[in-house]
This record gives sequence, C-alpha cells and structure tokens, in this order.
Amino acid sequence: MKKLMFIMIAAVLVLTACGSKSNNANDTAGNNGNTAGGSKEVTVWAWDPNFNIAAMKLAKDAYATENPDVKVNIIEYAQADIIQKLNTGLNSGTTSGLPNVVLIEDYRAQSFLKAYPDSFYKMSDLIKSSDFADYKIASTSLDGVQYGVPFDSGVTGLYVRTDYLKDAGYSVADITNVDWDKFIEIGKAVKAKTGKFMLTQDPNDLGLIRMMIQSAGSWYLKSDGTTPDLKDNAALKDALTTYKKLMTADIVKVTSDWSQFLAGFNSGDVASVPTGNWISPSVKAEASQSGKWAVVPMPKLKNTASSVNASNLGGSSWYVLNIDGKEAAAEFLAKTMGSDVELYQKMVKQIGVIGTLKTAAEGEAYKAADEFFGGQKTVADFAAWTQKIPQVNYGMHTYAIEDILVPEVQNYMSGSDLDKVLANAQSQAESQLK
Amino acid sequence: MRNASVARSRLQPRWTGWLFISIAVLLICAFYFYPMIQALLLSFKTGTGAQIHYTGFDNYERLFSDKVFKTALKNTFLFLIIQVPVMIVLALFISVLLNDSKLKFKGFFRTAIFLPCVTSLVAYSVVFKYLFGNDGLINKLFLNLHLIHDPIQWITDPFWAKITIIIAITWRWTGYNMIFYLSALQNIDNSIYEAARIDGASPIRQFFKITVPLLKPIILFTSITSTIGTLQLFDEVVNITKGGPGNATMSISQYIYNLSFKYTPDFGYAATVSYSIVVLIILLSFIQFKAAGDSK
Repeated sequence: MKKLMFIMIAAVLVLTACGSKSNNANDTAGNNGNTAGGSKEVTVWAWDPNFNIAAMKLAKDAYATENPDVKVNIIEYAQADIIQKLNTGLNSGTTSGLPNVVLIEDYRAQSFLKAYPDSFYKMSDLIKSSDFADYKIASTSLDGVQYGVPFDSGVTGLYVRTDYLKDAGYSVADITNVDWDKFIEIGKAVKAKTGKFMLTQDPNDLGLIRMMIQSAGSWYLKSDGTTPDLKDNAALKDALTTYKKLMTADIVKVTSDWSQFLAGFNSGDVASVPTGNWISPSVKAEASQSGKWAVVPMPKLKNTASSVNASNLGGSSWYVLNIDGKEAAAEFLAKTMGSDVELYQKMVKQIGVIGTLKTAAEGEAYKAADEFFGGQKTVADFAAWTQKIPQVNYGMHTYAIEDILVPEVQNYMSGSDLDKVLANAQSQAESQLK
Repeated sequence: MRNASVARSRLQPRWTGWLFISIAVLLICAFYFYPMIQALLLSFKTGTGAQIHYTGFDNYERLFSDKVFKTALKNTFLFLIIQVPVMIVLALFISVLLNDSKLKFKGFFRTAIFLPCVTSLVAYSVVFKYLFGNDGLINKLFLNLHLIHDPIQWITDPFWAKITIIIAITWRWTGYNMIFYLSALQNIDNSIYEAARIDGASPIRQFFKITVPLLKPIILFTSITSTIGTLQLFDEVVNITKGGPGNATMSISQYIYNLSFKYTPDFGYAATVSYSIVVLIILLSFIQFKAAGDSK
C-alpha cells in the first residue's frame, strides 16, 4: 500500500512539474519582447498568408536591415482564432500568451477598443493620423486618440467584363461613374444579349448593402458608434430598395459561399464583380481572361444626394497591445507600416496590397499599368478612389446588426413592407445592443 | 487485539479509497464544477468584454424577449423532433437487418454504416456543403434523372437548408446508434425468438413484441444522448449553412458562439444562453425517463 501511495504522490509531483514547465515554455513562446539580454522580440499575429502575412514579412525584412537587434516573429492564425484568443486573453487578464502586434478588421476595431480600454497602446505620438486616408481614422481611433496603424485599403471598384459589355452594346465609359439603376439596366441588357448573369450575390452576406450605405456616408449605427440607425435611415432605405430591384431583375446568380463567388467570375459566368480591390489577385488568377477586364468606380445610390462613386469593403489595421515590449513593437510599426513609402511600393508590386498611407500613392509602383486590365493603371485608380471614401464610424455592432438585418431583408424580399421591416430590425437591435 | 486490527483494516481501505479518488474529485471540481458555478455567476452579469458588472436577472429577461434566441430554439427543436426519431428508427431497422444470422458480408456492412462516425465533423460538413451546393452532385444527379427541373436551393432556401442539415446529421450519427443496438441485440437470447416462432409469431410481431421491449433501455439511452447531441449542434450548422439563410438553421450553440466571438463580446449573456441549454437537457431527459416508464 505504501508503495502505491508513493507512486501516486510521485505521479502528482511529476504532473505539477510538467505543468510549471509548460508555463515557462509559454512565457518564452509568448514573446513579450523581454528586453533581457539586449535583443528585443516582437510577436505579430495576422491572417491570410498571401496578403497580410506577406506584407508583414516585407515590413520585417525592411526593418531588419536597420535594426538587427529586434527579432520579429510573425505567426499566422485564422481571423476567427485571433478574435477568440484576443477576447479570452484580454478578458481573463492573462496577457502572457498574447502577441505585441495584432491585425484587427476595421469593422471590429471599435468593439475591441471599447470593450478592453487600456489594453491597446496609444500610437498618437508615433504616427500622424493625417498621413492616412481619412476614412480609416474613425475606426482605428477612439475619443480622438489614434490606436491603430491603418493598413490596407478596402476601396471598392466595379470589375467589368469589357467583352460581355461590348456584346450587349455598351462601352466601359457607359458604366463608369453610374448609379445602381443604370447598372441594373445594363445588367438586363447583358443578360438578354449574352445570357450571362451580371453579378453573383450571397443572400447571407449584405456586403453590397454596406458598400452602398458607406458610399453615402451612412452606417447601421449613428456616428456615436452604439445607437442603431435603421428605422429612419434614408440611405439604408434607398440601398435596400435598390438591392431588391437588383435581386428581382433576374441578373443575379445566387451563391452560398466564397468559392462559388470566385468560381462565378473565374468561369466567366458573370459580367461584373462589385467588391473590394483585394479581389484583384483572384480575378487575375484566371489568366485566360487577360485583357477582358476593366475596373470602374463603384456605382452610387440614385436617390441619395450624398452618395459618391467610391466606397469600402473590409480592410484592417495593425494594433499594439499594451503589454511588455509595447515600445519596441510600436517603434517597429511606426517605422514600417506607419511611414515607409518604399515598403508600400514593394507591397503593391509583390503582393498587390494597396495601403492607405497617402504619400505612398506618389511612388512609382502605384503608377504601373496592369496588362490584365488592358493596360489600365488600376492601382493609381484605386488609390485615388480611396481618398474619396466617405468616413463613417463602424462602431461596435456591425456584425450583430447584420445578423438581425439578414432575416428582415429576406422578409422584405418576399413582400413585407420596407418601413415595417426596418422598424422590426430597429427594435430588435435596440433590445439586444445595450 | 483482534477487534482493533479488524477496525483498522476496515478503516484503512476506506481512507485509501478516498485517497485514490481524491485526485479525480479534485480535478472534476476544478475543471467541471468551479467553471459551472463561475458560468452561473457570469450569467447574472452584463457588459462588453472586460467591463462586466452584476445586473441581476436582466439577462434572463432579455433571453425571453430575444427573437434570435427564440429562432435558434425553434430550429433546434425542429431538428430534434424530426431528426432524432428518424435516426433512432433507422438505426434500429439497420441493426436488426445486420443481426440476421443468414446475412453475408456482415462485417463489411457494419463497417460501412459505422464509418461516417469516424470522420471529422468539419470535414464531412464541408463535403456535404459541396454535395448539396446549387451546382453540386445531388442537384446534378436529380437534374440528369429528370426528377427536378430547377436545381433545389439546398443551402440558400430556408426550408431546404433545414432538410440538408437533418440529412447530414442523420448520415453522421445513425451508424453510431446502430452499434449500441447491435451489441444489445446480441444479448437477447435466441431461444426467445425460437419460442416465438414455434408459437407462430410473424417476424414483424417478433420485432415489436420482443426486440423493441428488450431494447428499451438502449433506445432510451440513445435517444437521450442524441437529444443532448442535437441541443449542442454546432459544427454542421456553422460549416454547411453558417446558420443561414437568415437565421433559418441557427442553433443555440452557434448563437452562443456569435454572442461571445462574432459580435462585440457579451460573455454574461452568452453564459445565460448556455444555461438555457442546461435547463433544457435536464427537462428533456426527465421527460424521456418518465415517458419510457422507467422508475429507476
């Protein structure tokens, strides 16, 4: 019996020893940028190896030549995992496993900044807000303090198949700087003459609505970022009316996920793609369609005076967490993503990332012509449109409201009254988002 | 002297027994009961992220007026009411077929039907998503057989999306339940059937009068575990339909996930919704025990 007890106690000891060992391992793996030993470490979390991670690697290389003592570790996680880890880490107060720099989508930034005050490092002294596209500032700052380093532009464009348009009797100029009603009209002609759909839409994703209302400087929430603005939102009403016209015109191919969306234009099934500029690499992935595409400004809302031919979809920014090693991390970000014009040229050339640093747009790489788009200077166009995007405060509840809105929009599509539908959504949002 | 040693030997095993289970008890307390109590406390708090504070029964009031929660609850119950009985009957039917002593390639059939259970939830969900896509294999097949004129919107139509989820879960879990029935069937003495046959009972009568009553504890067990499983439905819905179209296939677990991680985190309210599942599981299990007439 004594032997057994001894074994058990030994087992417990070994277990606890293992436990503490893995804790130590965590501390070093967590890389809090301990300044011990003179070398500094900066850990970065981001998603998408072909876009964000690739851009961060360029920044790392650019920084390493001048600051060999700073070691940058880039770790790739899926976006959903980053959100989970950040939430659980910040909530529990155990910051040892968290990175120094993290990428956060602009739609979610306010919710992090507000839900975890003092968890993010103030960047106001290191970067100048006015150096970046205006529309990025509302989502990356809180109460006048700049927290995020604005990264990629989510500026939207209307990708069009010039050959299909020609077959339908239209030129690229006919669809440039138009409103959505004209777009639908052209879509009907394309469908009638070529048999091709004008665009794909996933009924579960209201990205199109978001683009429409931002083009008018409006959002699901009022400018305070917390009060739902659905019921009497004129731009949203106009957007939904237009959306219904579009969906019922028999010019939309319905999809249910991302790969079907990609297949839609890669297979030549649709004549246009209204979305963010980050889709360019995917459009160009189908090399056989080279020369058949052009990018024109996004259509605007016809009955909303404030609507312009520029909008945004997606986009994210870099944040420094307020934990050990923040100074080194902030310095690294400010010197690279925050000001390095050369770096942004490389990002455009090598990856296709269009940044929001204003001065970067004057560089050579931004003026290059793209043969795939018939020699159009797409990057320069996108950079110019980025400056026109109306600034809106995405606030804290973009996704929560969208989930409320999706079923209500479906009710509207199947015949319910628009005002009633929006009033319903408004009351739901008010009761849920306290 | 002798009495004392008896007392000691009685006492000693008791203490060592406690010592043996003490680690397990400690671990269960630390990793099950402590979080459960914390979650209960959390369910009385409201706020975003780290700024939460006690608000009494506010969350529970919100729960009863929450339209999304009601939709999620309705969806989950719909899955439950249709899917669990279909699956149980199917599993029972297949297991009786496979238990036939004259059947050849028994091992092959058993493996084939059990195989879905070893696939990863996410992997099979993704495969199902493509099978049931608008231009997926199922639609192509039906179109080519001229069973339908237009592709069925398996994933983008609220009604068909529910059907897709039900088909998916049934495919994944029928084999799992079948295994329980098969092992129970092997415990039924063959002489009972023999006696029934001599008395002239038809196979159908044998099934209802012998097989089903003798399998009752197992049927109860599988229906309870299936009910609990359906209440915790998450992977399939997230991967096949993302809860859509609209909220047409949203499950309670997915709503909890959304509240915690998709929206601005409100862990307090998410804990409240979690506790609604606890209450439901207790209630449903209780009803099933009562309905099965088992007083044990």
